[in-house]
Parts: sequence; C-alpha cells; structure tokens
Amino acid sequence: MREIFTVWKKEIQDTLRDRRTLFTAVIMPIFIMPLVLVGSFKLQESQQNTIANQVAVVALSDQSTAPSLTDFLVKQDKIDLQPAPADFQQAIANGTLQAYIDIPADFEPSLASDQPVTLTVYEKSTDTKSATAFQKVQTAILLFNESVAATKLSAADVNPAILHSVTVAANDLATEQERGGYFLGLLLPMFIVIFSIAGGMYIAIDVSAGEKERKTLEAILMAPLSRLKIVSGKFLAVATTAIVSVVFSVASMYAAFKIWPPNLGTALTFDITLGTALLMLGIGVILSVMFAALLLAVGIFAKSFKEAQNYITPFYLLAILPVSIFSSIPGFKPPLALFVVPPLNAVFVFKESLIGETSSSHVLVTLGSLIVASIVSIIIATKIYSKESILFRD
Amino acid sequence: MSLLSVDHLSKVFSGKNGDITAVDDVSFSADAGEIFGLLGPNGAGKTTTIRLIATILKPTSGTARVNGHDIFKEPEEVRRSIGMLTTDVGLYDRFTARENLRYFGELYGMQGEALEKRIEELLDLLEMQDFADRRAGKFSTGMKQKVAIARSVIHDPAVIFFDEPTSGLDVLAAQTVVRFMQRAQQMGKLVVLSTHEMHNAEKLCQRVAIIHRGKLVALDSVQAIEQRTGTSLLEEAFLKIVRSDTTQHGSQKPAFQPKRKSIFTAQGIRIREKIFTWWRVVILILALGYVIYQFTMRK
Repeated sequence: MREIFTVWKKEIQDTLRDRRTLFTAVIMPIFIMPLVLVGSFKLQESQQNTIANQVAVVALSDQSTAPSLTDFLVKQDKIDLQPAPADFQQAIANGTLQAYIDIPADFEPSLASDQPVTLTVYEKSTDTKSATAFQKVQTAILLFNESVAATKLSAADVNPAILHSVTVAANDLATEQERGGYFLGLLLPMFIVIFSIAGGMYIAIDVSAGEKERKTLEAILMAPLSRLKIVSGKFLAVATTAIVSVVFSVASMYAAFKIWPPNLGTALTFDITLGTALLMLGIGVILSVMFAALLLAVGIFAKSFKEAQNYITPFYLLAILPVSIFSSIPGFKPPLALFVVPPLNAVFVFKESLIGETSSSHVLVTLGSLIVASIVSIIIATKIYSKESILFRD
Repeated sequence: MSLLSVDHLSKVFSGKNGDITAVDDVSFSADAGEIFGLLGPNGAGKTTTIRLIATILKPTSGTARVNGHDIFKEPEEVRRSIGMLTTDVGLYDRFTARENLRYFGELYGMQGEALEKRIEELLDLLEMQDFADRRAGKFSTGMKQKVAIARSVIHDPAVIFFDEPTSGLDVLAAQTVVRFMQRAQQMGKLVVLSTHEMHNAEKLCQRVAIIHRGKLVALDSVQAIEQRTGTSLLEEAFLKIVRSDTTQHGSQKPAFQPKRKSIFTAQGIRIREKIFTWWRVVILILALGYVIYQFTMRK
C-alpha cells in the first residue's frame, strides 16, 4: 500500500510542476465554466435585447403612390422610413438599407376598390439585421391590413372586433425551472464530460507513454514492487487529477450561478440546486475514474507521447461527439437502454436533474453502468501494463 | 553457490515473421568481487539475457539465481539484489537529482533518515553535490549519467549490471562510469558488463562470456580466450570466435534482429509514426454527420 502511495505521490508532484496539467486540470475548469455558461447567457440576453430594440431601416419604392401606408409606417417607432435609394440592392448589400418595399403604381386605387395588392419586400436573409427588419415589416403590414379592414368594417357598420373573434391565451405548463433547465441542459452536461476527460488526459500520457519516451520505464520496472502496484499508483494519480478538474468545474459553475445569476428578463430562471450540483459532482467523479483508466490503458499501449496523442484524439472525439449530438436533439426522451451507455447516460441524468425531473431508476442504472465500466477499464489498464509484448513494443 | 548463476536460460519472442530465439540455452555463473564481461555484437541477445535475469522479461525456459534467490520464486528479492545501468539514461526532468534518487529509494522500500543518508553518500561519492538540487531536465549527459549510476545502486545491490554503459558518452563521462565499475568491484560487488566495445572489456574484465545469435560461444578468463585463439588482443579473439561461429552455422540472418527501434536501446528511439488513416476517416465521417445533423435540425 505504501508503494502505491509512493508512486501516486511522485506522479502528483511531477504533474504539479508541469504547467500544462495545472492549466487543463485546474485553471481551465475554474475559468471556462463560468465564462462559457454565464457568458453565453449574457450574450443571448444582449442579443435578444438588440433584436427587440433594433430599428429597421426601410425604404419604399415610391412614397407618393402609397400615402396611407407611408403614414402608417412613419408612426411605427421600430421602423425608420428612409427615402428610396438610387440602387436598393446595393444599399441592402452594404447594410445602409435593411428592407425595401416595392409599391405597385395602383396601390391606393386597388385598396380603395377592395382589390388585393401584392407588395414585394426585398431582404437579405443571410444578414441578421436585414432578416429582422423583414420580420418587422411583415408585422407592420399585418397591422396595417388590420387597420384598413377595421376602418372598412366600421364604415359598413360592422364591429371590427370580429377580426379577433377567436384569440389564443398561451399557458405554458413547463415551470420556469424546466424552461431554464432546458437551456442549461444543452451546454452544461457536455462540459462536465469534457472536463472529466480533459483533466486526466495529459497526465495519463505523461505517466505511461511519457515514461517510455523518457526511458524511465525500465528503471521503474526494476524496482521490487509488482506491476499491479505501479499501475495502481499511476491510475490513482490520473484519477485524482481528473476528479480535481471535475470538482473545480462543478464548484466554479455553481459559484458563478450564485454570484451572477443570468437574467433573460423573460419567464425563465436559470438556477442550479445544490442537489443537482452534488449529483453532477458524484457522477462526474465516477466518470473521471472511468476515463482515467481508459486513458491510461491507451497511454500504456502507445510507444511514444506522439502516438498516445494520436490515439487519444479520436478517443476523445468518440466520447464527445455522441454527447454533443444527443445533447442538442430537442425534446429527445432517451429510452432506458441508453442509460447503460457511458458517457451518454451521465449527460441524460444531468439534463433530467436540471429540469427537475430526476428519476431514481435512471440515476441508479447510470451509476451501476459507470461503476461497471470503470472496473472493466481498470482491469484493461492493469492487464496491458503486465503484458511484456506491449510494454516492450517496438 | 555463486552470487549469480544462469541455468539454461532461453527466451523466444513470437513475432509476425515467426518465432525468434533471442536467448538460446545460456548458462554461466559469476561471483562477488569480479567484473564479468557479457560480450557480443549488437543484437546478440545480451540485453535480453540481462532483462531475463532482472525479471523484467519472463524466460521461455531455464532459470537463474541471484544472491541465492530464484528469478521465478522470488522475483522481488532478485530485483532487490540487482542494480542496472544502461546508456539510455532516463530521469524525471521535473525532479531534481536528489528527488530522482529519493523516489527510487522509496520504491526500493527505503525511507526516512536511512534513505537521506544513502543519498548523501552517493552524492559525495559521485561528486554530484553541485547539481543535487537542480532539476534534471537541463543536465548534461555526464550529469545524467551520474544520477543514473547513483539511482542504480541506491539500494546497495550485490550485483550491478552495466548494459553498454559508455556508448554515446564523451571521454569524461565514460571515465566516470569506468571508475565506478572499478570501485564497485573493490567494494566486493559483482559487476556484469555487457558491451560490444572490446577495449573496455579487456581493461576491466577478468572473465567473459561471448554471446552470438543468442548462444553462448565462449566462457572463460580473458587470458584463456586469447591463448585459445592465438591472439594477444581480446578484440581479435572475439572476432575470430564470432566468425568461426558464423561459418559453422551458415551466414543466415542473425537470430535476433538488433532492437534498434526498441525503447531502451543505446541509440535511442527512432520515432516511427504510423499515420492511422482509419481513425481520420472515422472522425471525418462523424464530423460530417454532426455538421449535416446540425444543418438539418436548424431551420
């Protein structure tokens, strides 16, 4: 036991002197988690505000042919009516104009004689401002339609209220926590998984393939302790670093939410309960243990640092890609079978917890599967470490 | 009973191109207070023999005893009795010389006052006090060599193996190693020198074993071998023996290819980086799949 501790202590001490590990395992989670989460909400918040407050710069082909519409548009405070430019396509392309309404010559007569009129509205959908302006123009035209119809109905002695015979009263059954949690669920679980891998990634290569490359492996194999003890010490060191990384990321994320709670002004609350944070911590720790063993196995198998990196990059992507895909499927309800698949199950459990729908059976299946996967990974790593054909591979 | 006795030791590596017998029925013994030479051309099986004795590799057949301990029955005791120095000096770069020594001392079960005293002793013996507390990453080859020597004997082993200890070293660093071997002999250790450089062997060794293509082809005192071959230089005797062995057994390719690419060989590693195209394809497909997915889901 003391020998395992000796190896563990050495690897931890070694890694603490390496800025790279310190950076990926400690600094990154501390700063990136709050930055990404709170930052992205703040960004979304400010974007929503700018879209709502944006004044659309619009021009009519000829204001004199449509005085009623011109008057109406001038009264809209989110529309800035400009005189028609010489070349409207050019103006939209360079952003001085955001939408352009082509008025047919018979606009007012058609309106007066109850004939439908088609207005051509030009926009550039790839330009966010132009696309927003287009929507504002559409809304304005809709309102203009209503006002024309209302005037005509009143003239014909009909109550204009019939235009709104049926209205919809929206009532969202999702609680504020659910709606907020849904947004959080898109990003947050993925980052916990990323840190549980990234935290141990560098040290895992360093203590395995790095030792081959530095040529210290033979010296350590000469020492009178079993290979199982060596690999246990190394595994514990990798797991420690990864766990530290997860602990820091969950803690800093939790702190960030408490200190700067994001506020989108709408009926969404973004909050993480202590229970959710603890669940993330617990599952994140087991996840780190599993990845630590897998990364170490890959590292031992490789001949050099470079080769280990070559193996670990696809490994990392294979772990992250399904997670990122499943996280972004809207309204995806995972079947129970998917709760057996790490690390997807962790993501699903995190998401459920964030919207306040924690299911104990899902948590238990996930925990069971992660623990089994961890044990299998540890066995694989130790088996590889005791195989001389792999240890002394050319 | 000899301090080191090797008894019909064999090692077969199974590779893609069939089995390779790296060590073929080798037997010899050596005693305390001598420098025993293990000579042979590159790839003859010297390093593998040493690794088998040191219990780093498992023999296919045969056995060996070190300091009375059998390599199968008491591998940990065997390792405690052995120190090993190779040219490939690997140190932990972010650790100081002292910390490197301390870690290995701890791995050998030493601790506290006794370990610190032993480290101090070795630092003095090898004149390492000047750089004892500097990190090993920036050491010169000579400095690294000294730390490696100290590391290999931190547990005061009865048998010390030197595997090509001077190849690639400059004159001064090589001199340090040679002096240390002599000092170890004076202290009553058994020094096993594995090398293909005959002038060092001639100068240092009393008895030598010549290994060629995994087989022991000569085992005697240096003088006896020179007399038998009618030469006055070990180098010439060595060449004669190796040549006659080659003509007797045909000049087929060496039994064991020199492990030049090996991670532990003196000449260092040649990084043969395979380009794993299969995983790049997998990533490409996954990445494309992801992009397409995102594209279709977004309105």
